[in-house]
Amino acid sequence: MIHEALASVTAYMFADVTANQRSGPVGAPRPPSAAVRAALERFTGLSRDVRGGAVLAEGRVLAATGDAAAWEPAARELIAAADAAAGESAVEAHVATENGEAYMLRDGGLEMVAVTDRFTLASLVLADMRATLRQLRAEAAPAATREAA
Amino acid sequence: MQKPHRFVIDRVAGYADEAAAYLRRRRLTRKPSARVYAPGGRGACYPAETEAGQRLFQAAARLIDAARRDG
Repeated sequence: MIHEALASVTAYMFADVTANQRSGPVGAPRPPSAAVRAALERFTGLSRDVRGGAVLAEGRVLAATGDAAAWEPAARELIAAADAAAGESAVEAHVATENGEAYMLRDGGLEMVAVTDRFTLASLVLADMRATLRQLRAEAAPAATREAA
Repeated sequence: MQKPHRFVIDRVAGYADEAAAYLRRRRLTRKPSARVYAPGGRGACYPAETEAGQRLFQAAARLIDAARRDG
């Protein structure tokens, strides 16, 4: 019983650590984790075809629509595969499979991955992802200023 | 002479038929694909037979699986 409670609390703590702006090397300003979660909710609400997604900074999940521990390795793998294919830091990737479609977008120090149903319009999904990251970047700048003050 | 509203309805129905046919064709002909864009807008396709393509498809499958676990 106690072990179960401890496990859930530590899992929560570690999930929160990944979202903490002060953890890890300081690169581009990171948006507050609440803002990332809200942005993901808005993104998934834009279309019924979107199954889920995650936002990452420097390979760490800031927020995900589900279990961040499940999303993080899968997202990193897709980002690494896209980078390897491009031979440099890929800007975006779209992989359409029989079971769904996977997307990756990198913008301003943030990465976003998303999964949709089949036959979605890639340009629309990527445009929504771009808008989400742009909004997060805009929210990160004032937060970083407040943090510095 | 055809009534004006009939003309509009026929026209709209025609466009809807064409759009439906386009989507049907798209569903039938669309095959699994992987596309990656590098900075500067340079994009390339990676067929599943290539090493890079295989890696992309495997990674995408894992991501799709993670989304499925979201419920």
